Amino acid sequence: MTSAIEARRLTKVYGEKRALDHVDLRVEEGSIFGFLGPNGAGKTTTLRILTGLAHPTKGTVHVLGHDVASAGNAMRAEIGFLPDVPGFYEWMTAEEFLRFAGGLFGIDRRLLDERVGVLLDLAGLTDVTTRIGGYSRGMKQRLGVAQALINAPRLLMLDEPTSALDPMGRKEVLDMLESLRGRTTVFFSTHILSDVERICDTVAILDQGRLVVQAPIDELKARYGAEKVVVEVEEGADELAAAIAAEPWATKVERGTNGTIQITVSDADAAKRAIPALIVERKLALSRMEAGEIGLEEVFVQLVGGGQS
Amino acid sequence: MRGFSAFVRKEAVEIIRTWRIWVLPGMLLFFALTGPLMAKFTPQIVAAVGGDQLAGLMKALPTPTYLDAYGQWAKNLTQIALFAIIIIYGGLVSSERKSGTAILVLTKPVSRSAFVIAKAVVHSGFLALTVVVGTLLTWGVTAAVFGRAPGVALWSSALAWLALGVLFIGIMTLLSTLIGSQAGAAGIGLGVFTLMSLAGLWEPLAKYSPVALSGASMSLAAGKDAAILWPVVTALGLAVLLVGVAAMAFRTKEL
Repeated sequence: MTSAIEARRLTKVYGEKRALDHVDLRVEEGSIFGFLGPNGAGKTTTLRILTGLAHPTKGTVHVLGHDVASAGNAMRAEIGFLPDVPGFYEWMTAEEFLRFAGGLFGIDRRLLDERVGVLLDLAGLTDVTTRIGGYSRGMKQRLGVAQALINAPRLLMLDEPTSALDPMGRKEVLDMLESLRGRTTVFFSTHILSDVERICDTVAILDQGRLVVQAPIDELKARYGAEKVVVEVEEGADELAAAIAAEPWATKVERGTNGTIQITVSDADAAKRAIPALIVERKLALSRMEAGEIGLEEVFVQLVGGGQS
Repeated sequence: MRGFSAFVRKEAVEIIRTWRIWVLPGMLLFFALTGPLMAKFTPQIVAAVGGDQLAGLMKALPTPTYLDAYGQWAKNLTQIALFAIIIIYGGLVSSERKSGTAILVLTKPVSRSAFVIAKAVVHSGFLALTVVVGTLLTWGVTAAVFGRAPGVALWSSALAWLALGVLFIGIMTLLSTLIGSQAGAAGIGLGVFTLMSLAGLWEPLAKYSPVALSGASMSLAAGKDAAILWPVVTALGLAVLLVGVAAMAFRTKEL
């Protein structure tokens, strides 16, 4: 599989501030990639460098095989980009803006007619004839995604596409992105974990300008989820929880509803062997015992720290 | 210069659909309509409201002619219209950076130079069109009010000023590329205007450079001779150079 984005030791310094610090990033073609991080982590700076709007202080970036430093129009012809706050010519209508954007790509008229129709429909703006100045934030964001798709890009890059939207607006934009699965590579930054969890197959977490982790979501959850065990007994859960808490491999024991106990363990193998023995010793009835499910939020908090949103 | 024609079309339509169509044309057409009337009737108005003393003074002044109407038009252009250009175009490029529209269009396969040059070209054309229409109107109203209106003095004055106006669009294109704040760019633009006015007092410089154009425009409107070939050529040449520098500076600027 080829890389849509490949950044090596990407560093960006603004005065005293190191916005990006030796970031290595690889986005496979065809993936929906979530670029996750708290506010101020350096996500927008990364996207500005990837799109050629800013220059790295150090490091190299290749987008679709082009070196961003020298590629220029050859690279831009193959990407679609939506900035965090898209600025439109508010005196245009959605159709006029899409035609203007298409004109900048030199798309011929017949193809442009076809694409404008499809994209207005995708953005739910087909019957909207008012000028963009009167649009809601959600409508502008949907138009932003549509204009980024006007050239049928091989790579679509979006900066915080859902962060300022209400739940309905978020759902609409995420549905739009999900509908692109298999047709183009989608790379989007966000600090909203549930958005990543919902549509992305791969994730990278950035914190204070450093890449903390990059992996497929399932692998990431498995890697961190393996350290959790959930046990449910019909009765005697408190007594069992106390016994487990005394074990050296149990780092955290939490009582859930009914007879459920969630255990964070330092040695999963030891835990899996010891827990059934503890249950048998107490003659308790076991309802279930399984590897705990971990949410991306917990992974994020573990990696980035709980102090940030 | 990929994208140049698309940017030219966009700039032209933007003028028609936004406040830009009202401000400069509205101001110049107002001056064009009222200038000749003011020139003709100001002495009578002053005499009517000023009492006997002022009426005597007014009678002592020569009777207004079409040259007074032309002088009014040239004065309005060299003072008020030039100020308006400096203020209006202080954000010619920076406003698109600030609003985010530049980011949206310049991540597409277009030339950043085309983005800047299209603005300078379209707004110079817009200024030329507005000045020509305003001058035509002044000409017509002057003929109606004074009975005669020979064209040479008026048109040579207006065209000399137009070269200065185009130069200031070039200056503001560069300033709005380099400076993010519209007020900051306009402030420096006004500083340039003041320096040029002072430099115009030094004859050797005035003879060959654009600093002569303001005074030359007034002289021509008054029916006097003024050598404007070199000042016009250097003004237009400098305008092209400034826009070129702006385009080059914008190519490497981080957005």
